[in-house]
Amino acid sequence: MIVRMEEVMKRFGRNLALDCFNLQMEKGEVIGLLGPNGAGKTTCIRAIIGLIPIDDGEISVFGIPQDGKNKEIRRRIGYVTQELTIYEEMSVWDNLAFFGGLYGLTKEQLSVRVPEVIRIIGLEGREKERVKQFSGGMKRRLNIGCALLHEPELLIMDEPTVGIDPQSRNFILEFVKTLASHGTSILYTSHYIEEVEAVASRIHIMDQGHTIANGTLKELIARIKGDSHILIDVRISSEEKIAALRAIPEIKEVVLDDNRYHIVVPGGITVFDKILAVLSELTIVNVNSKQPNLEDVFLTLTGKQLRDEA
Amino acid sequence: MRRDMFKFNLKRGLRDIYGHLILIAFPVVLIAFFNFIYKKTSIFSGTHGQELSILTILTIGFALTFQVYGAALSFDTIAVDFFSPIKDRLAASPADLRRMIISILTTATIVSFFQTLFIVLFSIVVLNVSLPKLYLILPVMVLSIIFHQLFGSVIMLASRSVKTSNAIMTTYGSVAPMLIGLYFPLPNTPFFTIVRTYSTPVALANTAIKGIVGNDMPKVVLALIPLLLLTFVLFFLIRPLIKKVAS
Repeated sequence: MIVRMEEVMKRFGRNLALDCFNLQMEKGEVIGLLGPNGAGKTTCIRAIIGLIPIDDGEISVFGIPQDGKNKEIRRRIGYVTQELTIYEEMSVWDNLAFFGGLYGLTKEQLSVRVPEVIRIIGLEGREKERVKQFSGGMKRRLNIGCALLHEPELLIMDEPTVGIDPQSRNFILEFVKTLASHGTSILYTSHYIEEVEAVASRIHIMDQGHTIANGTLKELIARIKGDSHILIDVRISSEEKIAALRAIPEIKEVVLDDNRYHIVVPGGITVFDKILAVLSELTIVNVNSKQPNLEDVFLTLTGKQLRDEA
Repeated sequence: MRRDMFKFNLKRGLRDIYGHLILIAFPVVLIAFFNFIYKKTSIFSGTHGQELSILTILTIGFALTFQVYGAALSFDTIAVDFFSPIKDRLAASPADLRRMIISILTTATIVSFFQTLFIVLFSIVVLNVSLPKLYLILPVMVLSIIFHQLFGSVIMLASRSVKTSNAIMTTYGSVAPMLIGLYFPLPNTPFFTIVRTYSTPVALANTAIKGIVGNDMPKVVLALIPLLLLTFVLFFLIRPLIKKVAS
């Protein structure tokens, strides 16, 4: 087993960041850690790497208990941070060689690995340029490259696509799939559902410090298979109508997104007339229903949308 | 790993073009400017009974003054690495972070020495300044650089704030040259003689170097002993601070 977290507790003051959190990761798996901002994803990652001590529970990485001091564990992990953690005034080559050096790569090893990684991250021909001249996407790719020099067995990627263009995002997602096909275990956190759907072989949905569901995409969708998702667009929405809709006993959940009401009802139950009665005075412009996806799983389990700020 | 860190940090320090412009070009301009202002007086009274040329006094004074500002070379770099998200990436690696800080301090000292050397050599070669016994003057300059690199970093590590460190070093860097009479002559009273000679680490280094130039060895020893002691104090202060930040 690559990672085992059992009943892990971590507090920051009064805030419970990890609440009896459990996670198991087998070799070669890509686990998608999904949750809104503040769900505890970064705390979970930092605990696995040993950057923060935990208050209770157990963590082992590569079968070794994580006490925060074990260099052997760190040597085998690659960490792609959420923020850009590269030296912008230095060149691509300097950055890669420096971070490779931190993991003990010799000059000879670096002379082989640095060009390899430059090719993997698609920055050939730019290796001598200063990073500060690069686009956000190129910097993100270098940020990933710096974690690959030492060929880690476990790659931890904390929201690696924040703030980049779609082209670079696709590049990164394809790259994650390629890396996984070569046997690297990957822990991938994001609050972009489509990314986790695209790369993860197993998904952990986190909220308020604990896992609220985990499984493959199919297994998670099967959990809410019976539910119907009704989308109603109105001209001008009203927050008050959410409470009125929630008062209808058959309705499981209601979320308002701009002028669209997203309503979850158990399958087979007809509540259209009741819904329309509540919303009719807002001028309905469109009514739709759709097949459930991962976003609906999250909505059903937590009662909120993933990109809500916590 | 240690050599790679050293090489990387030295390269970082040497690439700071704006830093070099401020810490090399600015003092050189000031030396020339103050020389122009004072040249009518032609001779500036020394503190050791002998007379030193204005240019010699200005070269020593500004070289030492700008070492105070050069302290930012280490504390700014330490802050970038240890008080920003980069720390997570460094801490996630198996590298010894204490070595990283020591490497930053060492390379910043070397870069600051290059800057001082440039100012001194410029004055000797271009302005024809007479600086005898350079082989003795330069080690005192190095001691002064080490003191100021440690001083700035101790403040930054203790306060965990670059802003605080910058504010203190800038104030000190503004006041210290006045206290050695660099911008304007101080009164020739016993009180101001002590202020000019021993009041700050810059004054101590200035006194020691003037003592070397004027062959006044007791003065050199009297100035160097407190400067050495202060440097040792900072060295012992910085050790637990480095340990704390690197843990």
